Amino acid sequence: MSEPGTSPRTAAPQSAPPTEEPQTPASKTEAPQPQSTRTGPGRLLVAVYGLFALSASARAAVQIATEFHRAPVAYVLSAIAAVVYIIATVTLVRGSLLARRIAVVSCSVEFVGVLAVGTWSVIDPASFPDATVWSTYGIGYGFVPLVLPVFGLLWLRHWAVRSKTLPAN
Amino acid sequence: MNGAVPTTIIVVGLGLAGYALLTTARNRRVGLGLLIVLGVLEILLLVLIGLIVAKLVGGGHPPGLPLLIGYLIAMPLVPLVAGVWGAMERSRWGPAVYAVAGLAAAILMVRLHELWTVIRV
Repeated sequence: MSEPGTSPRTAAPQSAPPTEEPQTPASKTEAPQPQSTRTGPGRLLVAVYGLFALSASARAAVQIATEFHRAPVAYVLSAIAAVVYIIATVTLVRGSLLARRIAVVSCSVEFVGVLAVGTWSVIDPASFPDATVWSTYGIGYGFVPLVLPVFGLLWLRHWAVRSKTLPAN
Repeated sequence: MNGAVPTTIIVVGLGLAGYALLTTARNRRVGLGLLIVLGVLEILLLVLIGLIVAKLVGGGHPPGLPLLIGYLIAMPLVPLVAGVWGAMERSRWGPAVYAVAGLAAAILMVRLHELWTVIRV
């Protein structure tokens, strides 16, 4: 609050001299419409995707570098999951038409992946001496990996519909 | 190492998550209160990192040293990145990011304990 002028909403409206136009068009107060895939609910989505990108890639990198032969299937799948999370994070932050299309593919791969790997790890636990992010549908991560792609796809669908109604973007 | 610092981090992390979710439910953006709690969380994490590094320098041998080092690097970044990312948001979804950071810090303590049981909770 040290810089005057950057927050005109704190100034008393009637006493303000008309030197600085207080009515900037994109004014805040009432719940603003999200301006891109990274704002509004997208802000939370990107945060969770970013957290998973960080933890999955760190985990996969360490596993592959130090003990790959112990559980090669699990570690390769961990690495694939890490890549999917990184792609989703980056594309949701960018939010262009191309980025959104890539994000739809990556979230779909993620959803199929968590279902397939989850089922595989339940049927054939011997293939997974060490867990991946997607083992048993992401039980080690509070099933967040299972619901995250659903919310991602819903958010992207919201944007697909919105960009049809607003062809300016 | 006694478990005071990790336990405090869990309490503060969960407290931050609750406070942040309440802020989201009340449809408010990130305010000074949330920033202060997040700052406290960051300081506690840095203290814990100091304690763990001291333990390592003192001759501790954790079973999964590379992953532990990865945790030590990533841990202090979580509140920092979440703090900036959430404060940029001018809606109720900014505090929701802070809730994620608080939960992540609490979960990290459990993971650290699994990684190296010397780090008590």
